Amino acid sequence: MRRITEHPILTFKQGKQVKFTFDGKSMEGREGDTIAAALEAAGIRVFRESINLLRPRGFFCAIGRCANCSMVVDGVPNTKVCVALLREGMNVETQHGRGKIAIPRGGQTPRRSEATEGG
Amino acid sequence: MINTEILVIGGGPAGLCAAAEAAGHGARVLLLDDKGILGGQLIKQTHMFFGSHLQYAGTRGIDIATILIDNAKNAGVQLMPAATVTGIYEDGVVTAYTDDKFIKIKPEKIIVATGAYENMLAFPNSDLPGVYGAGAVQTLMNVSGVAPGNRVLMVGAGNIGLIVAYQLLQAGIEVAAVVEATDKIGGYYVHANKIRRMGVPILTRHTVKQAWGKSGVEGATVVQLDEQFRHITGTERNFAVDTICLAVGLTPLTELLWNAGCDMRYIPALGGHVAWHDENFRASLENIYVAGDADGIEEASSAMIEGKIAGLNAAKNLARKTNLTQKLYDERIKDYHGQLNQLRRGPFGEKVRMGSGMLTGLPPAVDAPIESLPTDYRAFPAGARVVIECEQNIPCNPCETICPHSAIKVGKDIVNYPTLDPEKCTACAICLTRCPGLSLFVINKEFSETETEVSIPYEFTPLPKKGDVVDALDRQGNFVCKGKITRALASKKFDRTSIVSIAVEHKYADTVRHFRADGAPKPEPRVNPPADIPGDMDAIICVCEDITRRKIEEAIDRDGAQSVDEIKRLLRCGMGPCQGKTCQRLIMQILAKKLGRNIAQFMPQTYRGPMKPVPLGVLAKANDEEKN
Repeated sequence: MRRITEHPILTFKQGKQVKFTFDGKSMEGREGDTIAAALEAAGIRVFRESINLLRPRGFFCAIGRCANCSMVVDGVPNTKVCVALLREGMNVETQHGRGKIAIPRGGQTPRRSEATEGG
Repeated sequence: MINTEILVIGGGPAGLCAAAEAAGHGARVLLLDDKGILGGQLIKQTHMFFGSHLQYAGTRGIDIATILIDNAKNAGVQLMPAATVTGIYEDGVVTAYTDDKFIKIKPEKIIVATGAYENMLAFPNSDLPGVYGAGAVQTLMNVSGVAPGNRVLMVGAGNIGLIVAYQLLQAGIEVAAVVEATDKIGGYYVHANKIRRMGVPILTRHTVKQAWGKSGVEGATVVQLDEQFRHITGTERNFAVDTICLAVGLTPLTELLWNAGCDMRYIPALGGHVAWHDENFRASLENIYVAGDADGIEEASSAMIEGKIAGLNAAKNLARKTNLTQKLYDERIKDYHGQLNQLRRGPFGEKVRMGSGMLTGLPPAVDAPIESLPTDYRAFPAGARVVIECEQNIPCNPCETICPHSAIKVGKDIVNYPTLDPEKCTACAICLTRCPGLSLFVINKEFSETETEVSIPYEFTPLPKKGDVVDALDRQGNFVCKGKITRALASKKFDRTSIVSIAVEHKYADTVRHFRADGAPKPEPRVNPPADIPGDMDAIICVCEDITRRKIEEAIDRDGAQSVDEIKRLLRCGMGPCQGKTCQRLIMQILAKKLGRNIAQFMPQTYRGPMKPVPLGVLAKANDEEKN
C-alpha cells in the first residue's frame, strides 16, 4: 500500500531503486525487497488467478508455504514472490491457473533414460 | 554428501540456541533454515520480551535475534540460511534444497526446530487478497517496511493478535477492532491494555461472517457467537477495512518428524500433533531431538531453553567424546530444567504443563502456589510513585532487574506479582521503559495544588512537546479530559520507549493512562456489503485447488469420505503446491463436525518428501552430479 517512513522502534534502510516490469508496466521497487513487498508497496494486491474458479489471489503467509502468491517471474511460473528477491530488470507477470513451463525453442529435453535409471 | 555431527533444522530461537549449546561443547554443528534471514519470528518482534534476564527479558525480539545469531556464530556453528530441508529418510539421510542445488546430509543427530505454521480461518471471501496471516503482516510491515493496508480488522485476541494489532498502530495503520471467538482474551492483559487504551475495541464472542470486495478486501461483516459458536442473526456489524489479519493460532510444523517415522501424538494443549519425546527432548527415534514450537506451541523464551536442553543432550550422546564433562552436563541440565519450569509457572503455563504431561505420560508438573498475586495499586494516598498494573501473574521480572533503588520486588519465583516499596521508590520512571507489558506508570499526586502528573510509557512517533494540550484517555481509550504535556523524555538508555508526562486534575489521577495528540478520532465509517453477495455464499477451504466447504461436506455425506486422505483422493484437497498446509486443519474440523467425532481421531494426510516443491531440473542435476 505504501512504505512506512516513520517508526518508533524500527529504521528501514532505503535501498537503491530497482526497476522491473509487472504485466508489461514499468515499476520501481527497492533493493532488498521481496517481489511481493515491491508490488504491495505499489498498491498491487492481485498476484494470480486461481485455477478453477478464476478468483483473484495474493500474498498470504509470507514464508513461502501457502503458494498463494505464485507468479510468473522471467518466464518461470509458480515463483513464490513472497520470498523471491527483486532484481533489476525482472519481468513479473500475473499467473493464470497452474502456469506454463516455457521450453526454449530447440532446447534440449532432459535425458530421460538417465533420469529414471535405477528408479 | 555432507557429513556433520549434529544437524539443526530451523534457525529460530530454539534452533539457534540448540546449535550454540551443542557447538559450545565441541560438537560439529550445521544449521539449516529455509529463510534467507535467520532468527525465525524474532526478526519481526518490536516489543520487549517477557521472562528473566536468562532469556533476554526486557530486550526487543529483533535485538534478541542478533544476539542468538552471534552466539551461534561464536560457538562455531556452520550456518546455512536459504536452505530448505525436504525430507528425513530411514537411512538417516536428510535432503535439502538450496540455491538451485539439491544436497544430502548425513548427520549423527538431528534437532528438529522447525517452529509452527499459522492456522487458517475460512469464511466467504477469505481467499481475497488483503486477508493475511499475522506472520505475513509482520513480515511485510516490520521486515520489508511496507504497510499491509490502511485499516485492519484483527481476528484473534491471543498474544499474537494483540501484539500485531499494537505493531500495526506503531506503523501508523488503523486497527478497526480485534474480534475473538471465545469469551475471553487469551493473551496477556498487558498486551490487550496497550491497544485498548488507544481506543481499539476487543470484541469477544465475535467472528468474521464474511468479507467482500472485487479484487481485494473492501469490508468485513462481524457477527456475535452463541455458546456453541453459532452466529447470532441480527448481531452483524460491518467494518470498512482493506485488510483482515488472521491470528487464530498456530500448529506445530511436524512434517519432517512424520516423514522420519517418529511416534506422533495429538495433544490439543500443544496445538496439534507433536512428536513424543522424553524429558530431554529426544523423540522416539534415537537420533532425533525436537525443540521449540515444533514440539508444542509456547513462548520464544521457553523455545530457547528447550533448544539448549536438546543441544546439550545431542552433544552428550555423540559417539565421539566432546569436551562436555558429566559434571558440566549435570549442572547445565539442572539449570535449564529449572528455568523451563519457572517459565511454565502460573496461569499461562497451565496449558503447556498439562500438554507435556499428556505427551510424556508423566504426571503434569505440580504448580506450587504463587506467593504474590495481583494487587490494586490504583489508589494510594499522596506523593509520587510507580503504579503497577500487570493484572496477571506473568513470568517476567525486568522491572525488578532495572530498578536502581531496589524498590520493586518480584523475587526468585518470577511469576510473582511485583510489589513496590513506596519508601524506596523515587518515581524516577526508569522501570516504565523496561516493562515489556508497558504496564507501569508514575503518578505524582503532588505535582501542583490542582493537578496530578501521570507519566506514561510511549512507543509512538512523533513525540509530543512540552506544553502541548492533548486529549487524556482512560484505560479503554475514552476521552477523559484535556491534559497538558509536562515532559516528553527520550533517551538512548530507554531503548526506544519514551516517557510522556501529562498534568490532569487530581480527580483523574487513577483514570488517565494514555493520550491522543491528534484530536478526536474519526467516526467509524458507515459501510454495507454489496447486495450481490449471495446470502449462503460458500467458503473456499483448499485455496490451491479451489475446493469449497460444500464440496467437502458433499464428499463426506454423499461419497462416504471418513478421513483426510479420502477427501484428498476424491477432491485433490491438499495436492496443490502448499501440500495441505493451509487446508488440512480445516478439513479435520469439518470431518469432526460432520461425523460427530473428536478431532483427535483424524490423522493428517500421509507425508511424503519432498516437503516443499523442488524443480525436477534440480533433482536431475543432483543425480547427474552424483554419478560423475
